[in-house]
Amino acid sequence: MRPSLSRIIATIALLGFCAPHATAELWLTGGTGRQNAANETVPPPARPLPTPHNDGLPPEKVEADVSAHNIEVTAGFTGREIVVFGTVDYSRQPTPESGYYDIVVIVEGPPVAVIARSKSNVGGLWINTGAMLFDAVPSFYAVSTTRPLEEIADAKLLKEHSIGFDYVRMRPRQGRVPTFTPEDLKAYREAVVRIKQRDFLYPRQDFGVGFIGRSLFRTSMKLPANVPISALQANVYLFRDGALLSTVTAPVKLERRGIEAYIHRFATRHSFLYGVLTVMLAIGAGLAASTIFRRS
Amino acid sequence: MHIYLPIAEMSANVWIFLGMGWAVGFLSGLFGVGGGFLMTPLLIFSGIPPAVAVGTGGAQVVASSVAGALAQYRRNNVDVKMGVVLLSGGLFGGIIGVQIVRILRAAGQFDLFVALSYVLFLGVIGGLMLIESANAMRQARAGKALSMRQSGQHGWVHHLPLKMRFHRSKLYISAIPPLMIGAFVGFMAAIMGVGGGFILVPAMIYLLRMPTSVVVGTSLFQIVFVTATTTVMHATSNHSVDIVLAVLLISSGVIGAQAGAIAGAKLRGEQLRFLLAALVLLVCIRIGWDLVVTPTELFSLDRLGLH
Repeated sequence: MRPSLSRIIATIALLGFCAPHATAELWLTGGTGRQNAANETVPPPARPLPTPHNDGLPPEKVEADVSAHNIEVTAGFTGREIVVFGTVDYSRQPTPESGYYDIVVIVEGPPVAVIARSKSNVGGLWINTGAMLFDAVPSFYAVSTTRPLEEIADAKLLKEHSIGFDYVRMRPRQGRVPTFTPEDLKAYREAVVRIKQRDFLYPRQDFGVGFIGRSLFRTSMKLPANVPISALQANVYLFRDGALLSTVTAPVKLERRGIEAYIHRFATRHSFLYGVLTVMLAIGAGLAASTIFRRS
Repeated sequence: MHIYLPIAEMSANVWIFLGMGWAVGFLSGLFGVGGGFLMTPLLIFSGIPPAVAVGTGGAQVVASSVAGALAQYRRNNVDVKMGVVLLSGGLFGGIIGVQIVRILRAAGQFDLFVALSYVLFLGVIGGLMLIESANAMRQARAGKALSMRQSGQHGWVHHLPLKMRFHRSKLYISAIPPLMIGAFVGFMAAIMGVGGGFILVPAMIYLLRMPTSVVVGTSLFQIVFVTATTTVMHATSNHSVDIVLAVLLISSGVIGAQAGAIAGAKLRGEQLRFLLAALVLLVCIRIGWDLVVTPTELFSLDRLGLH
């Protein structure tokens, strides 16, 4: 009786400890709440169930953070390298190289509405003929993993949690655009990912995450110069044998600072004055140059 | 050396944009044009978002044209009355142009329309100018003087009502053609992000039959006002004017414009027109090429919320 009672107490204590984190995650992930529920769901039958531990330790849990929570965008901003690091609590892995756990790190920007258009040849000219409107596409989506995602978990689980470029959340607007086939949707989705990858906004590192110790892992990720200046979040997923064990989220915020912040504020709040100032500057420069050149 | 552009939201190589400003400034000084038709496509090719390219290119045109306009004004080569008539037409055309931009953008056909306008206007004007200047050069070599203005010819233009006297241009014509030309130029300026000098100059010479001496000055006068107005309009309604990018382009552009003006003084008029025609046709071919050749990426993305 005694050991089972202590286990119940430990579980209650653990739940109490986890609760604030769970709400924080809910808040940061926009209230999907599926990451937490996933810990209890049965892994898909396509893969064998991960062997349960009989060592009396609590189940594994991932904790993570980012090297910089506030990134300042100043006049010299050319992008920024961030490090996402974390630990696996109650790690059972014998060595860092064992490949016992898989880590998926996704740094995601806020969703934006995007129109994807496709061209076709009309009378010799390449003209936009098709379009699909997505209400929400992540403005930035960087994926770093211990090995290629297809090897970490099967499609069903990745799709359920919208992990990876094939399953990233993109909500097409229904009704307004003429009805589309699943093939159309797939082609447009792939085009969005391809174009965002070309613009460095959807980077992918298949072996980007490495374990340093039995439980400590890290990955460095490059935020490009055109990264959206907004609140990003780093989502970290812990996998073992194709099952999602635990997830955690850490915030990263980009902020304009110094002259950048001043100019941007001026341009948005006093746009008329800003426009007039730009024109005055142009007129001043043109007149100054002509006066200087006439004297010399 | 890189600098972060606050409105374009990207990091830019300072030397590339200084060089671009100088080169476009040089050509605008050399040919007496605003240079918008070169600057806007160049900015888009170099990765600046099209809306920001259109909004910011205008500021550079103001800078490189204002000195020229003032110099022409001092030499009494500006027909202010004609300029004002053209401008009032331009204002009307600009307002319609902004609405058309909004409709085309929603339909996803804005890029196509801009590219077609560039190809059409640059192609026709470049082609005509090339033929005309080649003929002029041939005749200059043969020793014959060619008058640009064939006076005494009265077309349909001269039979319209609302006649006005334009003293500086020595014209007594209806205000309708200049108003329409002005409206058309304002319309194109709003859509293509240009001052419209390359449409205005031939229109003044061939349609209004204004004396060549006042054409360049009046055109520059109009360009300064049109681009200054569109820059302020883009800044207020679209927030698409990047002042950091503008400073880069302007600072080297005004020096380039002066160097171009000095170089231009050493060339004959028809030689200049021939070179400008060749340049205009090159830009036309480059833009037309993208419309015809199979693109490597058939898809494109457009963000909602801009415009």
